[in-house]
Amino acid sequence: MASVTAPVPSALHPRAAGFTKPARPIERRLGLLFATTGVALILLMGVLGLIMRLTQATVVDLSPAWFYRLVTLHGMGMITGALIAAMGALWYVLHESVPLRAGHMLASYALTVAGAAGVLVATLIGGFGAAWTFLPPLAFFPAGQWPVWSESVFFVGMMLVGSGFFVYCIDVLRQTTSTYGGLTGALGWRFLRGREPDAPPASVIAATVVAFDGLLAMSVGMTIGLGLLGRTYDTGVGFDLLVSKNLVYFFGHTIANLLIYLAAGAVYVLLPRYAGRPYEVTKVFVAGWGVALVLIVTVYSHHLYMDFVQPQWAQVVSEISSYASALPVAVITIYSLTMLVWGSRYRWTLASSLLYVGLAGWAIGGTGAVIDSIIPFNFRLHNTVWVVAHFHTYLMLTVVVWLLAFIAHLLERDAGVTSSRGARTWTIALLLIGGFGLTGTWFVEGILGIPRRYAIQPPGTAGYSLAGSIFGLMFALGVLVCVAQLASLARTAWGRRHYAFVDHMDSWTGSHYEARVSRAGGKGPAVEAAAPWAPADVPLAGRVQLCFAAAVCVVALASFFPQIVTASEASVRYHHLDHAGHFFLGLMVGLLIGSLPAVSRRLGDRSSLGLATVIAAPAAMMLVMVPRFYEPLERHPFEHALYHLAMAAFGLATGLGASRLGRVGGRLASFLSIGMVLLFAAAMKGG
Amino acid sequence: MSLHYGDPQIALGVVFAVLVLLLATAFVVIAVQAGSEVGVERVHDVGYWLRKRWLVLLIVVGVLVVGISLFDLPYASGGAAGRTVVKVTGGQFFWSLQPGSVPAGTRVRFDVTAVDVNHGFGLYDPHGHLIGSVQAMPGYHNKLDLTLSEAGVYRIRCFEYCGLNHSTMQSSFRVTPR
Repeated sequence: MASVTAPVPSALHPRAAGFTKPARPIERRLGLLFATTGVALILLMGVLGLIMRLTQATVVDLSPAWFYRLVTLHGMGMITGALIAAMGALWYVLHESVPLRAGHMLASYALTVAGAAGVLVATLIGGFGAAWTFLPPLAFFPAGQWPVWSESVFFVGMMLVGSGFFVYCIDVLRQTTSTYGGLTGALGWRFLRGREPDAPPASVIAATVVAFDGLLAMSVGMTIGLGLLGRTYDTGVGFDLLVSKNLVYFFGHTIANLLIYLAAGAVYVLLPRYAGRPYEVTKVFVAGWGVALVLIVTVYSHHLYMDFVQPQWAQVVSEISSYASALPVAVITIYSLTMLVWGSRYRWTLASSLLYVGLAGWAIGGTGAVIDSIIPFNFRLHNTVWVVAHFHTYLMLTVVVWLLAFIAHLLERDAGVTSSRGARTWTIALLLIGGFGLTGTWFVEGILGIPRRYAIQPPGTAGYSLAGSIFGLMFALGVLVCVAQLASLARTAWGRRHYAFVDHMDSWTGSHYEARVSRAGGKGPAVEAAAPWAPADVPLAGRVQLCFAAAVCVVALASFFPQIVTASEASVRYHHLDHAGHFFLGLMVGLLIGSLPAVSRRLGDRSSLGLATVIAAPAAMMLVMVPRFYEPLERHPFEHALYHLAMAAFGLATGLGASRLGRVGGRLASFLSIGMVLLFAAAMKGG
Repeated sequence: MSLHYGDPQIALGVVFAVLVLLLATAFVVIAVQAGSEVGVERVHDVGYWLRKRWLVLLIVVGVLVVGISLFDLPYASGGAAGRTVVKVTGGQFFWSLQPGSVPAGTRVRFDVTAVDVNHGFGLYDPHGHLIGSVQAMPGYHNKLDLTLSEAGVYRIRCFEYCGLNHSTMQSSFRVTPR
């Protein structure tokens, strides 16, 4: 009897073998862990969304108090779920080019999941319902609906999610910049200027941009979150509401926007595997992502168009940025990916169909967003459900769809097959009709002038909500059909991983049949270790930089001069600025000491400790700047002096921690921490 | 109150619908073409040629739309001379307008603020068309200039989530015949 191992079938395009590396267990496991956790959270939040839509349709009788709890949970939960899953997807594809640290990834996971649990407790048990945008000071005007503890738990949860993403971004940035020759190398700018013959892979450029902007967004989110947390235990803390609103939307808009860019970074790698053509990184691509690096963080202020007190130049800059930010998406990402598909004998599988649908969702949702970003149009659409329509279009029909595609891709690769054509067709049809139908009802209601976040819809509009609910159910059904296919693929993949299929020929009859035999326990391709730590990879390298830092320290000493400390008592803001000066002094001293070659060698690679310090030390510094904490100390000169020294000590710890994060990561973490304390000074009026 | 479609919003909806239709057609055509085999060089030649024109088209449209929009900004400018100032204050969950009515044709300056949390002052004309909205924020005064030429009852709804009774936070403003 003869037997031959049957060739492993592939769900990918035949040409993809030429440019697709085999998946390593660590990538697959972490990718699946993140994606399944995130998608599970998304599904749960989707159910809540459906309940809310049915409430607006008067089919479900939910009280306004519960409606707004669900609004809050749905928003924060969706953002968190999509964030976790998209982080996993990008990590999966990035790990091919850049050796990332699984430990940091797991720390990021633990922090994010803990944060999500906090938000669940604050909303479902505590009744917190200030919406995920929590515009100050709404959290502290609960109208008898939630206790103070729920506010604290919500903000701690929100900041834990932020810390998880912060850890992820620092690790990604550190590894991409050290692998590709610094920030300009990882962004492809050296290639753009002709200094490098080859550009980094598309996923590396996208990940570097996302990590850079993600760090900015998270730092701002942490700043306002800490201020709000301080307010929960000290009512003496006050806010400049315009500055706070800017901070909230800088954080909120940017993080929601980054979800799609995170997922897009993965799509640059996944979609070519079905088109059989590698994604070509051109100078136009690099330039486009360079533009996106800036525009992703400048467009947020279109949320403040109807705050007429916002400087008018900022409104105009935001309008131009908002339109311009659509150009790289329309001309580079979506266009070039469709070019890749064109005439490629595209292999239509579950994953590849979902990837393609996501491109359409982004194009259509983005068009709705661009219309809303023109100021005179926004005057008529601001905070109507048109806004809900456009962001649901690209969250449901791009981000969620791409995250499902990512899981499908992992399973299809392992299983070597895809699901049946009929099941795929049903999935896509239900997702498209249900998704665009649901958002379509919101677009129509937006034209009608119906405001968003209404527990009770204006009279005569329940029909739209009912139609939306039916479409929403169709979309949910599409997701369920998709999940059923994923489960089936997972079973096949599990079987293929543990058993080999062997082609047997019966020597008596000559007939062939396939038999399943246990597979020998192979470990799969080896995992590359993360780049070895180099003592010289510090924020301040060389004598000139160290001397410059020493000079800056001398100048920053001025923040301790009695005349300056006394002058800073003129207002809370000036006093907080003086605290920022103390912190800055400590930070520079810490960076300087940590960057000294002898000290760096002795400290060694303590990047985990460094990460924890750059998150915890500035946070602690800002939390002790509330009146309840420091006012008693002001009566005792010695203790008051110690308090000011503590500000510098927090800075010192931050600087030392940052010195463990490499040149780019350390500098950026330092810059962000001083930015956080300055923003804190600008936003807080009391304390 | 009954809600009706406002004219500018209908125009926006039609433009959006046309764009969606064009995009959907493009994606269907590309999906159908995806099954064929076209050489990469050919795809690059045609694709990059078309992409340049696509970029130029989007830039031209952007310059025109953004440029024209700058002449129609809703932000009040200059002093309130010649205008009737209506002080609008939002609070959980009420609106206060002083005065509560003006004669038709009056050039009004709405001076909008709030006493507790952020609210949104959304104004509907007597036919239920949304005229527009402006934020009401404690500590700040947003000024909106309008000429209300049609007599009738103008409905006000809250346009920024402000807590439990956000969806029922309503009021009205009367424009009397001259």
